Amino acid sequence: MGKGGMSVDDDHGEEQNMAAWLVAINTLKIQPFNLPPLGPHDVRVRMKAVGICGSDVHYLKTLRCAHFVVEEPMVIGHECAGIIEEVGSEVKALVPGDRVAIEPGISCWRCDHCKQGRYNLCPDMKFFATPPVHGSLANQIVHPADLCFKLPDNVSLEEGAMCEPLSVGVHACRRAEIGPETKVLIMGAGPIGLVTMLAARAFGAPRIVIVDVDDHRLSVAKSLGADDIVKVSTNSQDVPGEVEQIHKAMGADVDVTFDCAGFNKTMTTALSATKPGGKVCLVGMGHSEMTVPLTPAAAREVDVIGIFRYKNTWPLCLEFLRSGKIDVKPLITHRYGFSQKEVEEAFETSAAGGNAIKVMFNL
Amino acid sequence: MVIINTEMSQSEDEEINMAAWILGVKDLSIQPYPLPSLGPHDVKIRIKAVGICGSDVHYYKTMRCANFIANKPMVLGHECAGIIQELGTQVQSLAVGDRVALEPGISCQTCNFCKGGRYNLCRGMKCFGSASTHTHGSLANMVVHPANLCFKLPDNVSLEEGAMIEPLSVGVHACRRANISPDTNVLIIGAGPIGLVVSLAARAFGSPRIVMVDVDNTRLSIAKDLGADETILVSTSIQDMEKEVVQIQNAMRSKIHVSFDCVGYNKTMSTSLNVTTSGGKVCLIGLAQTEMTVPLTPAAAREVDVIGIFRYRNTWPLCIELLRTGKIDIKPLISHRFGFSQKELEEAFETSARGGNAIKIMFNL
Repeated sequence: MGKGGMSVDDDHGEEQNMAAWLVAINTLKIQPFNLPPLGPHDVRVRMKAVGICGSDVHYLKTLRCAHFVVEEPMVIGHECAGIIEEVGSEVKALVPGDRVAIEPGISCWRCDHCKQGRYNLCPDMKFFATPPVHGSLANQIVHPADLCFKLPDNVSLEEGAMCEPLSVGVHACRRAEIGPETKVLIMGAGPIGLVTMLAARAFGAPRIVIVDVDDHRLSVAKSLGADDIVKVSTNSQDVPGEVEQIHKAMGADVDVTFDCAGFNKTMTTALSATKPGGKVCLVGMGHSEMTVPLTPAAAREVDVIGIFRYKNTWPLCLEFLRSGKIDVKPLITHRYGFSQKEVEEAFETSAAGGNAIKVMFNL
Repeated sequence: MVIINTEMSQSEDEEINMAAWILGVKDLSIQPYPLPSLGPHDVKIRIKAVGICGSDVHYYKTMRCANFIANKPMVLGHECAGIIQELGTQVQSLAVGDRVALEPGISCQTCNFCKGGRYNLCRGMKCFGSASTHTHGSLANMVVHPANLCFKLPDNVSLEEGAMIEPLSVGVHACRRANISPDTNVLIIGAGPIGLVVSLAARAFGSPRIVMVDVDNTRLSIAKDLGADETILVSTSIQDMEKEVVQIQNAMRSKIHVSFDCVGYNKTMSTSLNVTTSGGKVCLIGLAQTEMTVPLTPAAAREVDVIGIFRYRNTWPLCIELLRTGKIDIKPLISHRFGFSQKELEEAFETSARGGNAIKIMFNL
């Protein structure tokens, strides 16, 4: 994937491709975005729906996310779907006009991780809007055809864009082996907690309890199908009491806990609440170093499962959406068009949290 | 203090069964230990070999082990083997005179954990020498035990090796949970008895390269003798972690797929999380600290999983086979031997508590 550039390169009288660039802290500008030439296995896609992720907001506010640092202007955005405009010479599976959802990350396909199917761990992964790779909040992008998945007729482009966050939930449910016998606790009812809940139900989880500090988010979770909700605090002293409330709400052992927040307190609660032999899946990325009661958990064979993005999830997500087993549409709370003003407003809304769950651009 | 359970009487001509009781902190005493009556599925075993475990030493020093507090006298010891003396009426699989190794823990066999095969997690587990259910141990002349937890030793496996199956089982269970195979390069932190049995088990499971680290050179040289490909002397100082991570990765020469933390401190766990390759596993076996401060998030964000270990399950048959074929030679771990007298009992525990070049202290009865 080429880096693209900002020059006004207009040799064929084609439309100028525009994108939302992160140029400085808290500064997004819609500017030209030159596309690389179309390789034989690539497609050119007209973007139609792009969602904002917490990582996009983090880059906007701080120019960094974990150990990734934005050192030069970068196009933002990675949760996307669009319509095929042009296909490379070797592309057979897609044709112009096809509606596709896009998997952002291009792995190397040569290293051990890739060859063993764990391509999400590829050290050379080129991922939309993870510096220095440009994102997809743009009129058009060029991308490998094998990472573009055709949408069923009854699945909208917005739902296509939602496949990306939903994939995190699906990947987590696979790694945690969710099924008809696993009772699930979810810490955090933000977008990730919610997609994890939807995925867990789709995988057959018979009972799901979700906790959060925010009443509104809890009520959204309830309306989306949580069996029970528990309001919790940010105070560590409250852990024992909350574990008791959680067990009462579950009415049984907790088999798997997803920590979709990733703080000391949420992880401590997760490790304490999960039954012996169960799993705690750490999805949320709060603090780097954590202080948690790891030993008592390990001595009950409670395993801690890590999650990084996803792998091989688009086909399953699209099937869940096609069949209606999952309905992601309620997660889209705000919509904006693709103009300078609206881009700024959209990010402000997403950053403010509260009752904003998924903020979606329609291009 | 003499303890006699007046509810149970013994006939005049039977020997008085003696055992090693912990009466208080550092107060061990060999005293009578009346046995319960033999159930139809039980056997009575004359104990011949008993090893001392770190948990026994904990009870000796503090009358507690993790959350388990011994608030009344208890017989210690759980790593044992002996000879069948008597059979319960329904026992068909064993005969008087059989040499057997004993699996200590009696699970309830009716809960979901037991029925699901993870009986080591049974909440009603009664384990030799554990204050959790105040179950007496097996450092005694004789014990009564379910026959299905007594495993016949092949002719070429000694009673001492039979007693070593208990600690070896921890290593075997850990290697199973961590999926050790010819594809997994292994780091072992801690070259004490547990680190050493893990290394023997890892090799038996096919691990192609094993690097062991410890703060003690004596233990590292023992580890090298027992087959570690390379050993590294590390410190207890967290400042050294960054450089030790590099040393470890260089010593392994390629990816570290599984790290076993057989110690359980912030530093050892942090090191493990940092050196393990993406998608790998860290197996936490050592139970030193309760709360740990570790770089969990960056590890989880590389899908390094943390696998917990509690004792073992269904390991005796495999351990016996590994010893019978010589795939594992456990004998070098037995560093000290004592007889079963008051004086030797005290000496044995003091020796075990000292650590250093004492790996496994074995009683011969």
